[in-house]
Amino acid sequence: MHPLFASRARLGAYLLGWAPIVGLLAALGTLQGWTWAEALVLALGLGLFGAFLFPTAWYLCRALPLEPSRGVGAHAPAWIIAAVLMGGLWTGFARFLAWSLQNLPGLHQLPIRIAPAMPVLAGLGILLYLAVLTLHYLMAAMERSRNAERVEQELRVLARDAELKALRAQLNPHFLFNSLNSISALTTRDPGRARDMCVLLSDFLRKSLKLGEHTSVKLSEELDLLRNYLAIEQIRFGARLAIQWEISPEAERADIPALLLQPLVENAIKHGIAQLPEGGTIRLRAALTAGRVELRVENPVDPDAPEPQGLGMGLRHVKQRLQGRFGNQAWVEAAIREGQYRVDLCFPVETP
Amino acid sequence: MKALIVDDEDLARAVVREHLATHPDIEIVAECANGFEAVKAAAQHQPDLVFLDIQMPRLDGFEVLELLEADGQRPAVVFVTAYDQHALRAFEAQAVDYLLKPFSKERFEAALAKARALRGSRPAATQLAAENRQGRPLARIVVKDGTKVTVIPLDRLDWVQAQDDYVLLRTEGKNLLKQQTLASLEAQLDPARFIRIHRSFILNLDRLAKVEQDGKEHREAVLRDGARLPVSRAGYQRLRELWEEA
Repeated sequence: MHPLFASRARLGAYLLGWAPIVGLLAALGTLQGWTWAEALVLALGLGLFGAFLFPTAWYLCRALPLEPSRGVGAHAPAWIIAAVLMGGLWTGFARFLAWSLQNLPGLHQLPIRIAPAMPVLAGLGILLYLAVLTLHYLMAAMERSRNAERVEQELRVLARDAELKALRAQLNPHFLFNSLNSISALTTRDPGRARDMCVLLSDFLRKSLKLGEHTSVKLSEELDLLRNYLAIEQIRFGARLAIQWEISPEAERADIPALLLQPLVENAIKHGIAQLPEGGTIRLRAALTAGRVELRVENPVDPDAPEPQGLGMGLRHVKQRLQGRFGNQAWVEAAIREGQYRVDLCFPVETP
Repeated sequence: MKALIVDDEDLARAVVREHLATHPDIEIVAECANGFEAVKAAAQHQPDLVFLDIQMPRLDGFEVLELLEADGQRPAVVFVTAYDQHALRAFEAQAVDYLLKPFSKERFEAALAKARALRGSRPAATQLAAENRQGRPLARIVVKDGTKVTVIPLDRLDWVQAQDDYVLLRTEGKNLLKQQTLASLEAQLDPARFIRIHRSFILNLDRLAKVEQDGKEHREAVLRDGARLPVSRAGYQRLRELWEEA
């Protein structure tokens, strides 16, 4: 669809743009000593003809799109040929108009009038065509940038979608199946505890689904989820899993990206506690210093385990999410020191 | 029939124990909470049947199986695992039975029947372990010397030398022997980190300081700790290819 005819407002504006040109043509005619009637008829006819003929420039504009790499000069010959052709058509139409209207009263002199004006009309036609062509290139450029914007918008939506998917994927199936297995063991040995564990597991699932709906949550909410999660893991691991909380009260009120700590604590269990026959203590620290949230997850690791190669998936997601949101205002650090694996996160407090 | 239950979770062991209670012909000789204990208990009791978890501290289920095999033991093995698609595919291909946690009494009975039937005709553990890794390079090597089990993380392995049917593994100033061919070990190692520099040697690239040439075709790798290993022409070629890629 031709962009000018795609919207009524745009077509109106375009035709309105031709009004001063018609006026100019008429004025030029009267300056040459034409009568008002002659000048007006010719100007109107030529204006209308031009207004509908010249938008064929759209096809030229589509066939020869502007490419920054090739420069403007590459298309110049085609443009000039098209402009000369259109100028010729335009003046031809002027002649035809004059000839066909000469029998009307007061217009019989038209053919004689326009004969000397032909070169000027031709030049004017060429210039007008070039102007309309430029207009079309501008419209094409606008269209392209609008498209680019829409694509970018779609990409942003996709990225957000990917983030949600990543969050959902963090609900580790291993954890679920192992928990269900613990419940299965407890049903005959200790039905009361089996029921407790069912409740804990349901609470955990409900909370993580709820937190996953938000982009940001209070740290206290995230910690609540972690307490729930760790209570389940403590039933599984028994005395092998101990937890130490060092949470400052100010930090609890801070907003953080939802489910940020969950994958890190899960890693601490999977790669730390679960790999150690005697287990160990997971230390969770949260503090608020100078407008920045500082979080730390620390766990013992098996000294014989191979050094982790780069960041694990969970940690990489955490890093991407923080960088996506805070740019270089956030940093993530992971290191093993004296048998302890430690992840530090630091990012600005979000003000709701 | 003697059975061994290996799982790092007390509750998970309890489920297996409970199901086995209805089989008076099966005696539970030991319950183990990690791979080391399992290898030790197996050597002591020579079980006919092992219920083996996969993800455990120290040694995983596959490594335990590999060590049992190196010890000449061929118990029937039922893997008990929570969730591991890749491992499952390997089991299915190898027709070794497995139980997915949590499992029903019926499923347990079926696995037990299968394990009794499959006793002694189990595929090679090393092959199973390799399939489980799905082409990913090995992360550590387990070696059993008498009753002692050593785990060598690969970043601590300096070089490997072929010695007939064994490989000599050089790690942290010690030499350890393992029954395996150099070629099969080479196939399991990450080719970007471990280079076959000679018919009889694989070198950890991190340990290499320089290559010295004396004479026309005779080259030696000088390691960071000063040790020297021979480099064959083909081995030198491999090193050069790696350098050119880098």
